[in-house]
Amino acid sequence: MAAQPNGTADAPIEVSSIPTVVGINFGNSYASIAVLAKEGSADCIANEDGERQIACAVAFLGEEVYIGNQAKPQLVKNSHNTIMGFRNLLGKKFSEIPQDKPITSAPVIQHPEQPDVPAYKVQVLQAAPSPLPKSTTTTPAASNTATPRSEPVPAERILTVLEVTTLFLKSLVQSAEDFLGRKVQGAVISVPTWFDSIQRNALQKAAEDAGIRVLQLLEVAGAAALITTTGLTPKELSHDRTQLVVDLGASSLELSLLSIREGIAFSLATLSDPTVSGNAIDDKLIKFFAKEFTKKTKTPLTVAPATESQDKRAEAKLRLAVEHTKRTLSASPGAATCSVESLKDGLDFTGTITRLRFDMEVRSVYDQVYTRVKELVEKAGLDLYDVDEIVYVGGSTSLPGLDETLAQGFPESIVTPFTAGTVIGGGVGDPTTIISRGCALQAKLVVVLPDDTDDEREILASFTDGHNWTQTATSKTIGMLFPEENAEGPLGGQWIPAVLRDTVVPARRLYRLDVDLGEGEGEKKVGFEVWEAKEGVKIDRVKPPKLDDEEDAPADDEEEEEEDIEVKEKTVEKETLLTALSFAAKEARQVEGRWT
Amino acid sequence: MANVRELSVVPPPLPASWTPPAASGKSISPLVTRRLIPAGPAYLAHVKRAVHNLTFEEHDK
Ligand SMILES: Nc1ncnc2c1ncn2[C@@H]1O[C@H](COP(=O)(O)OP(=O)(O)OP(=O)(O)O)[C@@H](O)[C@H]1O
Ligand SMILES: [Mg+2]
Repeated sequence: MAAQPNGTADAPIEVSSIPTVVGINFGNSYASIAVLAKEGSADCIANEDGERQIACAVAFLGEEVYIGNQAKPQLVKNSHNTIMGFRNLLGKKFSEIPQDKPITSAPVIQHPEQPDVPAYKVQVLQAAPSPLPKSTTTTPAASNTATPRSEPVPAERILTVLEVTTLFLKSLVQSAEDFLGRKVQGAVISVPTWFDSIQRNALQKAAEDAGIRVLQLLEVAGAAALITTTGLTPKELSHDRTQLVVDLGASSLELSLLSIREGIAFSLATLSDPTVSGNAIDDKLIKFFAKEFTKKTKTPLTVAPATESQDKRAEAKLRLAVEHTKRTLSASPGAATCSVESLKDGLDFTGTITRLRFDMEVRSVYDQVYTRVKELVEKAGLDLYDVDEIVYVGGSTSLPGLDETLAQGFPESIVTPFTAGTVIGGGVGDPTTIISRGCALQAKLVVVLPDDTDDEREILASFTDGHNWTQTATSKTIGMLFPEENAEGPLGGQWIPAVLRDTVVPARRLYRLDVDLGEGEGEKKVGFEVWEAKEGVKIDRVKPPKLDDEEDAPADDEEEEEEDIEVKEKTVEKETLLTALSFAAKEARQVEGRWT
Repeated sequence: MANVRELSVVPPPLPASWTPPAASGKSISPLVTRRLIPAGPAYLAHVKRAVHNLTFEEHDK
């Protein structure tokens, strides 16, 4: 302001009327941050390292503390001082944490003083206790010779899971503030569906300790639903639809089947499987490259699992390197490379893999996702053909091979971010940014809610942790049946579903449509019956068409048993007549001889 | 916030013989209880209607 001694009355920049809020996707392996953009949308931002996917890792090396992606390379030589996987331990007692998994980062220990509290012990260098300050106020500066800084001393530092989380979240918010140039005034943070209230409370506490005002802890599926129901709905999709959220992260698969009815969402079923994961994909990929390495260099290398310490170090290097390989494979159909300097015995390695080969190597993981999806839909009492849309969440769902695998079981009309073309280039369907963006939009919604009256506080409370806003919903679809002369099928007319099953009540649906009134003159009448319907999916098994060249095929008797092809079709049956309406058409228009 | 959905289907003309059947007096199948996901403007509108005891029409104003 020194340049403008007289100042001005105008605000120097356009001040946004809503407080500065962010959305934080806090995964067990990666986090991301989104801010509100001018156009009312949300954008995932890169941190000071240029990363949008920020590794949930904290490493200590001497006097340095690395947070985020810079901490991960420490896994190679300094794994005991590198802390990872802390989010999933929030709210857990030490005795509740299984100790059977192989450890590749700092082990979880029992806190030396606090009973049953999980913690990490790291080796650090601490500045030596500074010499007693001399009488600072009276000593003239000139006489203050530079005291040589004494060598820092090795020390042990104990951090609880909560403290590590606080440290990490603080650095996320710092990145956002550096980007925005403003203080962050509130955040919505994502939580997995399976987080109970103890885990949520622990996260809330860690965030508050980091100085964050937590507006809401929002379950991942909610953030995904929010993004996909905000803005334009693709024309292939109805505002009333069944949505499958597939979240494949680094350490687990999380599935949710959602009923979305005019923007209101609830869960029909959830499923979680820690054995299906991005890490499992990495296992396959690093094994593939280790084999390549051995083929090229004749140096034995056994990874995933590795037993020798040299191999363990090589495995850690490969794991870091395939991160890049996978992202290249997702982004482009060509081949991707994996390069590691001094992988083993001082030998460098560069390998390539095509998308085709990659999909082959990790096929079993794709298939497991598909199996779990079928289980989930069955659990909800539905069929894959009842699903209208798939939404992808989590880095590993960026892989097109996964979408291709799943698509086989769904109707051709299924909408996925791949069919919609919104996966890459920061599209709305980008699975790596969707959660942080959803959280940011939610933050924008809740931060402006007032809390002056009891009613307002009740509304506010319906968003906060622990509040279970339950509501009744229909169990069957209600629709309009427009009777028709000689109609095809058992319904006897044109069926228009109006209030789908699993619609929260009270509900209102308004439709506008044209009705064919025929060709004749005279009074025109519109009439329809209102029915509750029974819906289902009919499965026909048909013999596959015989191939012409069958005789030429080798006679491999066992394998030739051809499977019937399933042909699925959605069915609707009238079940209960509720009422009927008939009225004269007042606004009939004649178009090409017919009245509508 | 009255979302009127335009439908592109055009139902056929009424059969000459059709007269509206009397309302059956039956009610719809039992409702089920669900936990709503607290996200998005539609959820907020729903909670507002419930807390203030408003109908859709009153809420529209
Ligand atoms: N473009 C990409 N293509 C393929 N895999 C990717 C891509 N981007 C990230 N991944 C992988 O996705 C995983 C991280 O996903 P995500 O950020 O959803 O993790 P997370 O939610 O923290 O995981 P979790 O909670 O399961 O540990 C990692 O295995 C990473 O290698
Ligand atoms: Mg995740």
